[in-house]
Amino acid sequence: MAATYTLSHFDRLNEATQERLHNLGLYEGITVALIQRYPFHGPVIIENEHQRIGLRYRVFTQLTGGSNQ
Amino acid sequence: MTTVALLGNPNTGKTTIFNSLTDKYAYVGNWTGVTVEKKLGQIKNSSVTLVDLPGVYSLNPLTKDEAVVTSYLLNNHPDLILNVTNAGQLKRNLLLTIEVLELGAPVILNLNMIDDLKRQGKYYDPSILEDWLGCKVKTTNARTHEGVATLKADLANLTADQTSSSPLLLDYPPMVKQAIRQATEALVQDYDMNHDFAQWLSIQYINKNKAVRRYALFHDLTPLRSQEKYYDAQDFEGQIFNTRFSFIERLLAAASQTISSANQVELTSKIDRVVTNPVLGLPIFAGIFFLIFKLSFDWVGTPLSDLLDSFISGPLSTWAEQFLTAAGALPVLRSLIVNGLIAGVGGILVFIPQIFVLFACISLLEDSGYMARAALVTDRIMQLIGLNGKSFIPLIIGFGCNVTGIMAARTIEQPKERLITTLISPFMSCSARLPVYSLVVAAFFPKHQALIVLSVYFLGIVVALLVAKGYQLLFGVSDSSVFIVELPQYHLPRFDVIWHGTWDKGKGFVKKAGTVIFAGTVLIWLLSSFSTHGYVTNSSQSFAASLGRQLVPFLAPIGITQWQTIAALFTGILAKEAITSSMMVMFHTSSQAVLISALGQFINPVAAYALLVFILLYAPCFATLGTIKQETGSTKWTIWSLVSSLIIAYGLSWLIFTIGSFLV
Repeated sequence: MAATYTLSHFDRLNEATQERLHNLGLYEGITVALIQRYPFHGPVIIENEHQRIGLRYRVFTQLTGGSNQ
Repeated sequence: MTTVALLGNPNTGKTTIFNSLTDKYAYVGNWTGVTVEKKLGQIKNSSVTLVDLPGVYSLNPLTKDEAVVTSYLLNNHPDLILNVTNAGQLKRNLLLTIEVLELGAPVILNLNMIDDLKRQGKYYDPSILEDWLGCKVKTTNARTHEGVATLKADLANLTADQTSSSPLLLDYPPMVKQAIRQATEALVQDYDMNHDFAQWLSIQYINKNKAVRRYALFHDLTPLRSQEKYYDAQDFEGQIFNTRFSFIERLLAAASQTISSANQVELTSKIDRVVTNPVLGLPIFAGIFFLIFKLSFDWVGTPLSDLLDSFISGPLSTWAEQFLTAAGALPVLRSLIVNGLIAGVGGILVFIPQIFVLFACISLLEDSGYMARAALVTDRIMQLIGLNGKSFIPLIIGFGCNVTGIMAARTIEQPKERLITTLISPFMSCSARLPVYSLVVAAFFPKHQALIVLSVYFLGIVVALLVAKGYQLLFGVSDSSVFIVELPQYHLPRFDVIWHGTWDKGKGFVKKAGTVIFAGTVLIWLLSSFSTHGYVTNSSQSFAASLGRQLVPFLAPIGITQWQTIAALFTGILAKEAITSSMMVMFHTSSQAVLISALGQFINPVAAYALLVFILLYAPCFATLGTIKQETGSTKWTIWSLVSSLIIAYGLSWLIFTIGSFLV
């Protein structure tokens, strides 16, 4: 089973990124499954309600509070 | 005449719906902002016009393409809005639906991709959705045409009494409600606005909609502008969002039904496990693109192109020549038609099979859902030069043809990143440059042909990356870039969708062959067929030749000392593949072998390599320049593209020639 993460700290991101995440159904406090991460701090694929979304590593770590490295 | 506006999130199958409702083609793509131009279609057997709006996630625009929708709603009054949603992702799709319903225009809510929802073991009761939202609900699965006929009938039979409706008003917190009411009343009173529109405008303004705030500034809507600070300080935006979101959650909970799932194995996860694998992802990407190139330039495209070429340069030319001679046409006219138009436009038209095969492959990748994954796996590399994964594909396509590459850059959301991608695309060595490389390497580097050609391709990439890095620093493109890709469910590609996509992308090229390239051909023909004494049969006395001779002193520092080569380079601006044929004409030979030995007498290998580099970089061809103009909408950038490549080409060739001559 894929690891799950709770997304928070949306306020750390720039407004455009925040908005796009909202558009795709990702909000403060939502739980997502980590599907794939790429080496060398490459992009990360997460899934929420049957929707897969690709993010940059930096955005993902900011959203997960940088605790789950 | 009745107008229906088609509106919805990206990846909802909106364009497929558009195509099956109308008898006109529209572009199909899977990314935001692909539908750039305004597209109209007539619903079959009716007087209803369908307006296809770009896919947006909300009415608050992030990009220019998204702003199109908001400004359309601000300035037009469609008789009906057809809101297409992805039924499997209804929760987030409804956020946009609410914004639309608040406008008060009649809406049909279309739950498309209903199969995806059923596969999740879920279904929504349409009558509950209709009750809560106050609009008609229609379910479809556009890919299998399920439900499309009923939807079409509904739209075609649209009558006046159906086109009245009252806006949805959610139970916002009291403070927000009061703010909306006050602003609405003031707008109705002082600005003579329609109540529903004023209310929608107020909600959007309070909700920090950038386009609406610009609209309010432009129309000087004081009731809203004077309260802006108050709205923002109270975080009304957040409150509006929460109200909408909890409304949607309650609605979906009420409408939700559990059905026995078809228990289908998750196809998407299975494919994704392979194609987005951290180790295999890039090789698979490379493999797929290698296959596409093989198909376009080796297996299917080129044989067809050769066939077309042998027809145009063979029977067609001969026939035209004979016909014109028989008809007693002047030699000038004969030359214009046979050597100018048929040779020039025909020379471009022979690329059509290759280009269409390439576009078909790209449409197939888009329609299946792979394209978004390709952008993802290449993002890390592109980030290094300030671009994102979506820039990689246009550049790769540029190896086939720069024109198509630049057109593929439309999918990039950030205007600056899109501009940079457009500007560096011409450095990708397109297939039309290959014939002249082959000629030069055969003449000077017979033992290392492949290596030399490869080095030229590689140099093109390096130059493109360096220039991109330069633009990144110049434009200050930095971390603010947004790269979030929606990875849609995989779908089995459908033939008609691919055909629509291919034709829509390819027809631009055909059109260009008839206009820009046609004009350019005539110009070049004039230059190489006339001199100050009028029409000349010998091109060495033409304007092109004298221009070439005059330019010799300027190009001598980079090792190009024959006017014939320079004149040929001019024709290369028209079309790169024309360089070889022009050289043959200028050197008075019809055989490549003779030309190769002729070239060998004039220059040494170092100069030859400098020439290769110059040909690689010196200028985008006519068609590419036309596309840059069309896509950037700016003459300034088009000229800059020409000037900058000339400077870079000259500088680099000079360096290579100077250092090379010193060493050898």
